[in-house]
Amino acid sequence: MRLPTFFNKKRGNRRTGLPAWGSLGEGIYHAVLLVAGLIIGVLMLAGIAVPEWRINNQFIGVDGRLIGKGLARHTLRDVFGGAKYSWRPALLVQYDVGGEEVESWNTVHSSETHETRDVAVHQLDDWKLGGHVRCWYDPDDIETVVLKRGYSWWLWLLTLLLPGALVTFGATGLLHSLKSWGRSEERQAAQFGRLLETLASPLPESVGFPTIPACDNLVNSPGMMLRFRLPTESPEFWSLIGSGLFSGLWNLVVVLLAVNVGFDVAGGRADWWLLGLLTPFVIVGLASIGLFCRQLFFVTAVGPTHVEISGHPLCPGNNYQVLLSQAGSASFRKLELFLELEEQATFRQGTDVRTERQIVWQFLIRCWKDVEPLPGTPFEAEEQLQLPSETMHSFHSTHNAVSWRLVLRGVPKRWPAFERVFPVVVFPADRPKSNGENK
Amino acid sequence: MKESHQIDQSPIDSYQIQQTPRINVVFNHENIQYSGADPLRLHYVVEGVESHSVAAIERSVVWYTEGKGEEDFGVVFFERIQLDKRNDGTKILPKSVNTEHLTGALAVDLPHSPLSYEGIIVKIRWCVRIRIFFRSGRDFVSEHIFFLGNVPLAQLSEKIRS
Repeated sequence: MRLPTFFNKKRGNRRTGLPAWGSLGEGIYHAVLLVAGLIIGVLMLAGIAVPEWRINNQFIGVDGRLIGKGLARHTLRDVFGGAKYSWRPALLVQYDVGGEEVESWNTVHSSETHETRDVAVHQLDDWKLGGHVRCWYDPDDIETVVLKRGYSWWLWLLTLLLPGALVTFGATGLLHSLKSWGRSEERQAAQFGRLLETLASPLPESVGFPTIPACDNLVNSPGMMLRFRLPTESPEFWSLIGSGLFSGLWNLVVVLLAVNVGFDVAGGRADWWLLGLLTPFVIVGLASIGLFCRQLFFVTAVGPTHVEISGHPLCPGNNYQVLLSQAGSASFRKLELFLELEEQATFRQGTDVRTERQIVWQFLIRCWKDVEPLPGTPFEAEEQLQLPSETMHSFHSTHNAVSWRLVLRGVPKRWPAFERVFPVVVFPADRPKSNGENK
Repeated sequence: MKESHQIDQSPIDSYQIQQTPRINVVFNHENIQYSGADPLRLHYVVEGVESHSVAAIERSVVWYTEGKGEEDFGVVFFERIQLDKRNDGTKILPKSVNTEHLTGALAVDLPHSPLSYEGIIVKIRWCVRIRIFFRSGRDFVSEHIFFLGNVPLAQLSEKIRS
């Protein structure tokens, strides 16, 4: 008798064997996580959240009198026999419950204990013996009394976060296992794939053309000379935002540190180690400001690029007019306008998710050399573009993409080279003709 | 008419099953080359298995990606034929299916996209899959490639390589 195999035989990208065992293993793993999350959640709710909620909602408030005070010491022994102490103020309160005088030491939250005895003693000084205090007692146990109410939000966050993450991870994994139980990947895709694609797909599809991204956002801006103005995907713009964010956050931290150090220096308690440690932070902060200003100046000095096209979406074998407009006062050694086909693959490498890009086809539409813009007038040029008759259409799925784009690469005379990308969508050759296309 | 080759079958596999199925598929286009919106019709024959040992057959027309990225997958046609419940009257089998000889046929209009593509780091393949579920709980899948569209191979030019 053969025992069942706990793994499937992999043949290339295909698997054969007993998929039910894989689903069972995954299901057990996620069920354990779900149960662990529920148990931890119930324990944390019962031990932390519910008592705090009862104090704020069920304890009865009365006026009492402080008749004694002291210091409570909590001893925590470790496995090596060492002891660690924590301290908290202990207050003896006298209060009236239905005509009965009750005397009880107050209950405090563990967050109100202190590792330093002096801090607890200092807090005790705030309470005056014989003074009147507002207190709240437990109607189920009248000797349990507190002098302070309120919620500790971080405790609630902790209560919800850890078990919440386990429950979410376990429940979604369990649902996935149930979904795939005894089902082939084709059946899963046929039953659930469309729903998941709709939820997960970052780009909407063109109607009647699965996996071809919709080009609604590419045709909603009319051009000045030609029919459509294409939106840009400028790498410099994203690097400007990135360097701005980095510079802002870094310098915020530096300012917070510097304020503390400044107070110390003003109070005559200069900590030279801290000052020395702060110096490289300040240097990095100043350098990031410089880099951000340089990029900002570069983006504004080169000026915006506009590309207009006579028809969209594009179709293989068709001709289109393309208008390039480069504003700004910068002179260029070279401007090149390309039509490119780029493949993009997203994959997991260890715990990282990586995306690789590869330009697989490139056509130079036009190259201009020594471009000198006239004052107040952008550089403009209109060119004809013909798509090859047999070529791949635009394709976009969850982890893979084949994208068409017009790319302007420029080399300014006084600035580093730049690149501006204008995505376009190409349909298969055998689709019905759209407006703006010329054979 | 052309008979396609089965790619996922080997009698010396480590996952030995009591019977080794052979699935032959005949496409309506001899060169297994189709265009967008073309009707795909095919006939398949499962050989080498006893019909009473088969619990279900799934027929599907799918595309999937290969290459550097994670696999993406789409189904344009899917049908599951439950054979082991046919006696209790709960299942009505399609006329194209013969349960005694395990043969069948399917027809589907292909979509306009995605076209078959042989890129550098992204490849798109179309295929017909016939998956047999045995009563023992095991399954066996046979994949038969065909081509949608006529996109040429992507080849890096020297300029792009550099």
